Amino acid sequence: MKTWIKIVLGIVVIGIIAIFLIYKFVYNKEHPDYENIEASISLTTTELYQAFKSNKDDASARYNGQVIALTGNLSKIEAVDSLVIAVFVFEQGIFGDEGIRCTMLQKFNDVAGKLQPDGEVKVKGYCAGYNDTDVILEKCSIINQ
Amino acid sequence: MRITIIFFIIALLSTISADAQKFITKTGYIKFYSDAPLEKIEAHNRQVNSALDFTTGGFVFKVLMKSFEFEKALMQEHFNENYVDSDKFPSATFVGTVTNIKDVNLSQDGIYDINVDGKLTMHGVTREIHEKGTFEVKQEKLLGKAKFNLVVADYKITIPGNVGNNISNTVEVTVEITLEKANL
Repeated sequence: MKTWIKIVLGIVVIGIIAIFLIYKFVYNKEHPDYENIEASISLTTTELYQAFKSNKDDASARYNGQVIALTGNLSKIEAVDSLVIAVFVFEQGIFGDEGIRCTMLQKFNDVAGKLQPDGEVKVKGYCAGYNDTDVILEKCSIINQ
Repeated sequence: MRITIIFFIIALLSTISADAQKFITKTGYIKFYSDAPLEKIEAHNRQVNSALDFTTGGFVFKVLMKSFEFEKALMQEHFNENYVDSDKFPSATFVGTVTNIKDVNLSQDGIYDINVDGKLTMHGVTREIHEKGTFEVKQEKLLGKAKFNLVVADYKITIPGNVGNNISNTVEVTVEITLEKANL
């Protein structure tokens, strides 16, 4: 086989491999594994809620988009369609209960559904922000109960 | 942004009056759908706050942009970082009125056409919108549905030329909410 043909074939093979890798690891990369990702911040539910209530902009800059481990006394569990939400209530407002709402990963729906109110739980999730009534955590898992 | 938040809070507070019939949800659903030549993209958000004052028709929405979920992680990253800049503009807000709320009969189950006028704020831009939808009265709940289109450029969201065939300049927005009477 002539040298130039080998070079062209080599370039083509490398190109195909590069396209495959870009497709798999960039374009089609997996969502973060929120259950196993390590929390970048640990604090109590009271600390997180008060941070947003006292200075929303500062708290948003610090916590939005972060994976947070939270410890606090559970107020209730809400189940809406396929969502199970652990709710930590701190006050009453225009939307009724206001506090922290942690939407569970589907894998944790059953175990979260059996949690008892008033017990201390530790959850971990992705902080989506504060909507002027609640701090929203998504993709939550239960660390212990 | 601060003005928007204050406006939102005032709008919510204004829905509370002694004889107000207030309906709320914290788990409303909004979907974005983009149909471009090379790709169809959907994003789902199931954490939408909404309140309706049935007495006046006052109607508000608030949605956190980081709560939108995409099939592909890369799309979600681009949405938050490159398009809606969710660190700087973390939420979208609608404040408006169901102008024909008097046509909805709470004591008669059924589907009622509604007209909604108001201001949608997203990506730091506020624009008037006028859309149609339905309220279904069912067992003392209001199931609201609407579907409409938004031109992304209207909200100063720029689609780079190199992904012009992947993302549509107009996105279809689907809203589905189940409002329950508030016990406040």
